[in-house]
Amino acid sequence: MANRWQLPDLGFGVGLRSVHWAHILREQPAVDWFEILSENYMDTEGRPTYMLDQIAERYPIVMHGVSLNVGSTGALDREYLHKLKQLARRTRARWVSDHLCWTGVAGINTHDLLPMPYTDESLRHVAGRVRQIADILERPVVLENPSTYLEFTASTWRECDFLTALCEESGCGLLLDVNNVYVSSFNHGLDAAEYIDALPVDRTVQIHLAGHTNHGTHILDTHSDNVIDAVWALYRRATSRMGRVSTLLEWDEAIPSFDVVHAEALKAREWLPDAK
Amino acid sequence: MRSELQELQRWMQRSIVAGEELDSAASLILPSATLSPLERLNLYRGMYEARLVEALRTDYPGLVALLGEEVFTELAGFYIEAHPSRSHTLNRLGDRLPEFVAEVEGLRRAGMVQDLARLELMGTEVFDEQETSAAEFPRTAGMAEAELGELRFYTIPALRLGSFRYPVHRYLAAIRTGGIAPRIPARPTRLAVFRRDFQVHHLVLSPGAAALLGALASGEALGAAMEKCPELRPAAVFRHFQNWSSIGLFQRIALPA
Repeated sequence: MANRWQLPDLGFGVGLRSVHWAHILREQPAVDWFEILSENYMDTEGRPTYMLDQIAERYPIVMHGVSLNVGSTGALDREYLHKLKQLARRTRARWVSDHLCWTGVAGINTHDLLPMPYTDESLRHVAGRVRQIADILERPVVLENPSTYLEFTASTWRECDFLTALCEESGCGLLLDVNNVYVSSFNHGLDAAEYIDALPVDRTVQIHLAGHTNHGTHILDTHSDNVIDAVWALYRRATSRMGRVSTLLEWDEAIPSFDVVHAEALKAREWLPDAK
Repeated sequence: MRSELQELQRWMQRSIVAGEELDSAASLILPSATLSPLERLNLYRGMYEARLVEALRTDYPGLVALLGEEVFTELAGFYIEAHPSRSHTLNRLGDRLPEFVAEVEGLRRAGMVQDLARLELMGTEVFDEQETSAAEFPRTAGMAEAELGELRFYTIPALRLGSFRYPVHRYLAAIRTGGIAPRIPARPTRLAVFRRDFQVHHLVLSPGAAALLGALASGEALGAAMEKCPELRPAAVFRHFQNWSSIGLFQRIALPA
């Protein structure tokens, strides 16, 4: 089933990382698309921009950010949004995403994806901010379910229900991070399958996959390893409901060669519901 | 009046950034089956500092080598406390580290630490500057002396000039190539830090050359700039210009309109 914006299924993509720039430009691997970390290309006119311009000429680009700060009660950073919009034009980004989280208040940026309390007040607040941001960017905002390591006593919603209601009230799209569902469900003792089943099918624009680090008492979303089978199984469950959705593999720590990362991304084909 | 969401976010940020009011975690955060509310909050506190220290470590590898991991991490922690990030990017988190280390008392080899911090900051600045094409050295044969004196040499954005008490570029070069960090005695050193083909380079300048290039970079015409370095003979000046042009330090060389 297509998402309601008719944003295309781009296939199986890889998160673009600087250690792979030279390989990509030299070998021009047959990757369906790349996702960039927006902030890595926003305040530089040097090598990152030079490499990105060349890669964007050859491959579809999607932008994924970490500083939108959509859940914050602080003021919207209009300078940031302006730069984001400029970068999206420059790369002809298919869509722009960030996370359902906040990163700071009172002018400070913690550079972490901090969890929201899932309350009626939060829902009204975030929905209003999403609408403002979409107006400024002149495109739909796509938000990812975050990995979280704590829950607030104030929360009255399940995260999956909060996301569903947010999509409805704000008009945002959903970037379903299947690994994050697994990580947060482990950390909070929740049922990951139930979470996946509760999400709105026609809002899901993209899926993220990644590895993580299990510390026994909790899991950290480190993007530092292969995707585990339990996460692949959740991916199959999600695509059983949603059909094929643009799928991307993230790898951010102890990054192996490009071919290894790409091969991991292509494993997704084997976990599609109609795979033989 | 602040909303509950505002209060909660301000509390959580204070607890992460400054370690304040941690006792409130018990009433605001649920325990998991394996972690207490405070242990869960501490995951965020630990990741906050680790992420920012890592960003500084990336921009200041020379300082890490000179101070050692332990001292650098402690110093970076104090720096982050004094100068938390106020930007959407981590690229400029360390902009005030050189002035911060200059204020720290009791640092071993403080002079070299300060010089190295300044040099590494210049490197991060030129890394992100706008890319511009280099101007060729103009034909000056036949130009009248007065006309020559009016020539302007517009330097590229990706250029910084600095004076140092130590030749810290040698230390940094050794670190970059994975070599053994050399012991460097104090010696006044003038450097041009510039980017060419997306690589950051250091060029050692004589006192006269530094004065000349500095004057040109600040917008002075050739004639006025040469008055700043009377010890430079015309032949030496010509050689400097040829060299600086060939390594791409000028984006435009022209007479004023």
